[in-house]
Amino acid sequence: MQDVINKINELANGLGDISLMEVCGGHTNVILKYGIRKILPSNIKLLSGPGCPVCVTSQKEIDSIIEMALNGIKIVSYGDMVRVPGTKMSLEGARGKGADVKIIDSASQALNYKDHVFFGIGFETTAPMTAYLLKKGLNVFSAHRLLKPAMKVLLEGEIRIDGFIMPGHVSVITGADEWKELNVPQVISGFTPELVMVSICKLLELIKNKQNIVVNNYDEAVLPQGNIAAKNMIKEQLKPVDAEWRGFGMIKSSALEPVNDQQNARIIYVDIIKNVKTDIDTACRCGDVVKGLCSPHECPLFGDECSPQMPRGACMVSDEGACRITYVYER
Amino acid sequence: MIRLAEGSGGKEMQDLIKGFRKILRHTGEWENISNDSATYNLGDYHLVFTTDSFIVDPLFFPGGDIGKIAVCGTINDLAVMGAQPLGLSLSFVLEEGFSKDSLNKIIESMNAISMETGIPIVTGDTKVAEKGKIDKIVINTAGIGLCKVILNKKLEAGDKIIVSGSIGDHTIALLSKRFDFETNVVSDSKSVSFEMNAVNEFIKMAKDPTRGGLAATLNELSEDNKMQFYVYEENIPLKREVKAVEELLGLDFYQFACEGRFICICSSENSGHVLETLRKFNPDANIIGEVRAGSGVVIKTRLGERILHNPTGNIIPRIC
Repeated sequence: MQDVINKINELANGLGDISLMEVCGGHTNVILKYGIRKILPSNIKLLSGPGCPVCVTSQKEIDSIIEMALNGIKIVSYGDMVRVPGTKMSLEGARGKGADVKIIDSASQALNYKDHVFFGIGFETTAPMTAYLLKKGLNVFSAHRLLKPAMKVLLEGEIRIDGFIMPGHVSVITGADEWKELNVPQVISGFTPELVMVSICKLLELIKNKQNIVVNNYDEAVLPQGNIAAKNMIKEQLKPVDAEWRGFGMIKSSALEPVNDQQNARIIYVDIIKNVKTDIDTACRCGDVVKGLCSPHECPLFGDECSPQMPRGACMVSDEGACRITYVYER
Repeated sequence: MIRLAEGSGGKEMQDLIKGFRKILRHTGEWENISNDSATYNLGDYHLVFTTDSFIVDPLFFPGGDIGKIAVCGTINDLAVMGAQPLGLSLSFVLEEGFSKDSLNKIIESMNAISMETGIPIVTGDTKVAEKGKIDKIVINTAGIGLCKVILNKKLEAGDKIIVSGSIGDHTIALLSKRFDFETNVVSDSKSVSFEMNAVNEFIKMAKDPTRGGLAATLNELSEDNKMQFYVYEENIPLKREVKAVEELLGLDFYQFACEGRFICICSSENSGHVLETLRKFNPDANIIGEVRAGSGVVIKTRLGERILHNPTGNIIPRIC
């Protein structure tokens, strides 16, 4: 390990200020858990990007699903989604008011609730499971997002990013080749602290040699072409659509919705959803956090008014959210 | 409105219980009333009294079932106070329609622990709730025990922190059922009374890391004793499979519950003997750290130091 640290120091010496971004909450978790930022030389900055699907889901989507639940539509979803605060309450709050909201740990358990609407969420990693549920006949409210369109927005945006630590699990599905067109130094990484450190080292090498390529540093799990069966399953059941992201606004072809309108809860329950009023909490800086514009500590709500026990913003809810991770390891 | 997280053994639950105590102020002559077991001084002995309710999903899992946990949990709460358990009570709330075969299996497994430990189950109660009013079965057990010395001695800097076996096996065994993956790991669920008896007189304090896992238990010990708990992560015994599932699902093993392990603290001089004794029961027992002046729980990881906070919320697998 010391060898890697020495190599990073040596490479950093020859470079100016460098900003690297991780776009997976799992990486943010490892980086903070092991204090990796503190080990790195001062000119190497690690930014957390849109790596948490719960965090980038728009307020409108959260409010819509809560409104559906309050109108007697039965909902089933993952544990994190139930706690995300909407304008008036969370799904958990709706459940307290009598709504039927079931929590599952894995998508296959949703098969026990076929009369429920599955609130699907996640990047390419979890989309195949939602596609499978569609195939099995469930109705789905999809908040699934695609990572690449958001990364393109980031690269055109206001902050300089010299390289990306690429998400291991998303890449298992998409394959390493998916990222080539981004034309920026990228290293696909696994999730142990050692792997992340080696990935940072490789990224600095790419930056030094001005190589805008993808290095696969997680090749025990990630293939160049990805998981073809999973990708086919997504293609069969889900189609890309434009979507609003928290912090980013509208991004073209950045989300997935059911191919079959008759299984698309947004269409089935349009009468309930269309009148939903959404109020954005203006003090909450989740929108800036997911773009790397602001660190969780810089948000005025962090810690006192927003904590994992009583989250005000989406980034404080999930173990992949930058605010929650920061609260757990660096408050 | 009660939230699920308030029953998860972390900070939310401690706050909830503090609220109960503000109303339930009368504690009479009882001592250790904020502990898992309360104690009553009888002169030559202390009476130790504890109770626990059990809801487990799934009811049957590799290495145990809800009945085994219900009996062992109460025995263990008494044992870690240094007490010899005298007897247990057992109450069921059953859902209308619950399978009699399953119920008999659960009772058989309770009997097996009772026979193995020699601790009788002496009284109880049974209620049946209308279908849908509860989920299958809820079990409550309570227990009393006697001890000469309550294991609650003053800690000093330099004392060693020891765990009695590998951490997290129980959580992984449960998750394997919930997630439908195959594993060789079986729940650690068992009575720790024999191990505790063997080391009782050489240790200062013990606690079983059930709900909230190491994170909650170490923080509680640190707060109660106003000392820092310094832990070497590499010394924590973890099965390879447990580590692998933890990484795969994006969980934190510090929050994994154990149902047949305890953490004990002893002087540096006694630590060799205690470790040797515990390893006769379980070769994975290990010294994981030491008590220092200061506060909080500090983890020495492969790369540096970090604070281990009390867990919050429920254990939830990642979705990214």
